[in-house]
Amino acid sequence: MEGTQVQLQAENVSKRFGGFWAVRGVTLQVPKTTIVLLMGPNGSGKTTLINCISGVYAPDEGRVLFNGIDITARVPHEIVRMGLGRSFQIPGPFKRLTVAENLLVSSGNHPGEKFSSSLIKGKWKAYEQSLIEKMFRILDVIGLNEKSDTLAGELSGGQLKLLELGRLLMLDVKTMLLDEPVGGVNPVLAHSVLSYIRKIRDEFQTSFLVVEHRLDIVMKYVDLVYVLAKGNIVCFGSPDEVVKRKELYDVYLA
Amino acid sequence: MALETLILDILSFFSIYAIMTISLNFEQGYTGLFNLGLYFPIIAGALIVGYLPGRLAMVFYNIDPTLDFSANNAVVLSLLKTRLQADPFFSVALLAITLAVVVVVCAILGYVTAHPALRLTEDYLALFMLSLAETLRVIGQQTDWMAGGAMGIGLIDLFWCIGPYAYYGRAALVIGSALAIFLIYQRLCASPLGRLLKSVRENSLTAECVGKDVSQVKKKVLAFSFAILGVGGALHAIDLGAVVAGDYTRVDFSFWPWLMMIVGGTGNNLGVLAGTFALVMMRRVMIVMKPFFTFLPFDVLWLEPILLAIMLALTLTFRPAGIVPERPLKIKNYMRRVLHIKLQTKEEPSKLLVGR
Amino acid sequence: MLLAPILITAIVSAFLLSLLAMGFTLQYVTLSIPNLAYATIAFASTYIALTMYLMHLSPYVGTPLAFLLGGLISLLLYKFVAFLRDRGTSLVGLMMSTLVFDLTIYGLMNIYAGYIAYAFKSYTYAFSLAEMDFSIGDVPGIVVVSAVTSISLVLLFHLLLVKTKFGTAMRAVMENYALAGVHGVDTEKILSVAWFFVGGVAGISGSFYPMWFYMDPWVGARMFISIFAACVVGGLRSIYGSLLGGFLVGASEIFVTFAFAGIFGVWIWSYRSVTAMVIAAFAIVMMPDGLAGFLKRLQMR
Repeated sequence: MEGTQVQLQAENVSKRFGGFWAVRGVTLQVPKTTIVLLMGPNGSGKTTLINCISGVYAPDEGRVLFNGIDITARVPHEIVRMGLGRSFQIPGPFKRLTVAENLLVSSGNHPGEKFSSSLIKGKWKAYEQSLIEKMFRILDVIGLNEKSDTLAGELSGGQLKLLELGRLLMLDVKTMLLDEPVGGVNPVLAHSVLSYIRKIRDEFQTSFLVVEHRLDIVMKYVDLVYVLAKGNIVCFGSPDEVVKRKELYDVYLA
Repeated sequence: MALETLILDILSFFSIYAIMTISLNFEQGYTGLFNLGLYFPIIAGALIVGYLPGRLAMVFYNIDPTLDFSANNAVVLSLLKTRLQADPFFSVALLAITLAVVVVVCAILGYVTAHPALRLTEDYLALFMLSLAETLRVIGQQTDWMAGGAMGIGLIDLFWCIGPYAYYGRAALVIGSALAIFLIYQRLCASPLGRLLKSVRENSLTAECVGKDVSQVKKKVLAFSFAILGVGGALHAIDLGAVVAGDYTRVDFSFWPWLMMIVGGTGNNLGVLAGTFALVMMRRVMIVMKPFFTFLPFDVLWLEPILLAIMLALTLTFRPAGIVPERPLKIKNYMRRVLHIKLQTKEEPSKLLVGR
Repeated sequence: MLLAPILITAIVSAFLLSLLAMGFTLQYVTLSIPNLAYATIAFASTYIALTMYLMHLSPYVGTPLAFLLGGLISLLLYKFVAFLRDRGTSLVGLMMSTLVFDLTIYGLMNIYAGYIAYAFKSYTYAFSLAEMDFSIGDVPGIVVVSAVTSISLVLLFHLLLVKTKFGTAMRAVMENYALAGVHGVDTEKILSVAWFFVGGVAGISGSFYPMWFYMDPWVGARMFISIFAACVVGGLRSIYGSLLGGFLVGASEIFVTFAFAGIFGVWIWSYRSVTAMVIAAFAIVMMPDGLAGFLKRLQMR
């Protein structure tokens, strides 16, 4: 694959905890305008890999390139501003803020959030207004319209997942790392969310790296699949190819 | 006359505490920074007021340099009084310079304190801030040259120039400042900055992952609130006319504000003010009742911390959210109040906005 | 054996602080929040020693009472915090609740001081009981008492923890409170007993303090700084780390301040707490995991 076609690249990434290598020598590419699935049994290191890419952990070996730029071990907020966002497997919402506020706070350079300009309403009023418009549109998409004034702490597990997605949509990121985006979400809504993800990919040329266990639902929406087991990439390819590979079954049935 | 003085006294006392509790609310209620050592910048502000204006005035008026403001406090004060009484311009200038220095020094202190504070978890942070504050209190109490050490120091009265109205001048300064500070904090908290701070309070990792530089936010919050707290300490000293560093105890200048915030309701400024007012009135009542208890073989003053403890216990047990709990923001109200967009009840908000 | 006063001060300070720091950490680890009233509880017992002195008895006579006082207050505090914890009070709220006791004891202590000043017609706001100490040769009794108490209590604790059923149960509770409960350990009883003993030991340490040092109502607040420093140096959640940290900080506080007194003059002496704070700040920046963390990392290499 050509270098210019690659949005996100992990090169030989390794991370260990004490004497245990959670992730070892992982090389992975997320091309532009592509949805990539990262799958593997529990404990295979998927979330650790996502953490290494998104700056939550510093990898012990290897590097991460985004848009050709080395982002290895940069701070999460810098990485997000460069256009790489992530959601969490166990959602960490702002519990005592409403759903609307949760989304509104996921904004780019809001003049209202700076000490200097927040005192003068004129400086941030217009930005806030367009932010609110955007928020309503995204509430529509994730289906949480009715819950705009509900405290995030009162949402169900599935709704929290949708909120995670909603926050990323607000941020206009180029690439999204989604850790179990439809875990606990009912199948009908899961399908609509995943088809919306494809729509975003097409409309905005966004790329995705999705970690998901619900293969029955997610397989038909993804373009590329990587299989991770015990911290190593075992195989990769298109969904049709990977499904036929022997290694896949060894890994799950071992 | 006596009633007027009483009301102004209460208002001044309330104003000083309001400055402290709202700043605390900004740090803890909004941003989640567990600052148990609130009195650290307060003492700093008071020490600066004890040290700076007197010496600046001495230099300006060419007072005998062999005299020391601290050691020869009474003598220097009488010399300066005669000069300042006739010089309103320099008095105002001194006040402005002193407060400016307080703001700058305390802001720097806040920014610097944030560095170790950032690495600490809530419980550890509380201990650290408390120890830091107590250390400054010890320094202030022991160091004679700063502000008179254990004996304290008298201050030049920047309102000597208005003679018999000096008392009203001081009260106006304190109450006016508190009002201005309250308005500034209200503005900050009602803007998207308030929302940002709360997100840091709720989940700083998630805040990082939506692009917020959490470390910078905390540093700025501490710098800002320390600056205001320093002003609070400075005003307290000015109002009193003296600085006794040892009197800025953890009970009076940290635990009382904490109780006021908890009783009133953390996370919202009006609740905090309600709590402050309630407890200020309570303390006032106790002072009035004092003469009735002289038969006790100890100073009634010591019942105050016990009373404070009981109130804290009751609040934590029965009404932990406070008198005025933090209420969730309804988006329609927000749009109407802050952005002046009025929505018809039936129309869907999104449809209305798309048209704009 | 003639011991220089500076050495005596350092020894007594080191042993007392190590006991205090260890007790503080034990309470911290078992309840997951620091007990902000700890120093005040410990030093409330100094007034028992004072009362004994005023009644013309050796202050050491009050030691069992000091133990009882410290223990009972600690137990009460534990019950209150546990009660609030079970109701779902936040971390901040729980820490505030320890303040309830800090304030109450602070008030009661001063009231009592005022009362005995009135009753015994004596000045009670600043005192030292060193003159009532016994001596072994030229060595003041407190040196031996503090060393012996400290060492024996630590040994006792270690044996208890390692050899007894109670100790095993306590270790389980410290590791994982919920899990211990599930395994049938009576966590409430274990913690109640533990807190009572730690409070009692704190009370004893406090009551020994005026046997060498000057006592005033602010000692508790100042010692809090030293205890904090000791725990930071040792490793905030490590019991044995705090023991070591207490010893090191207790001694350094004295020696470092003494060294500076040689350069700057005797007035530096009241800045002992400042030395402790500087040590603490240094440790936070250089060694956030404390000695315990440092040793653990050495082990892992």
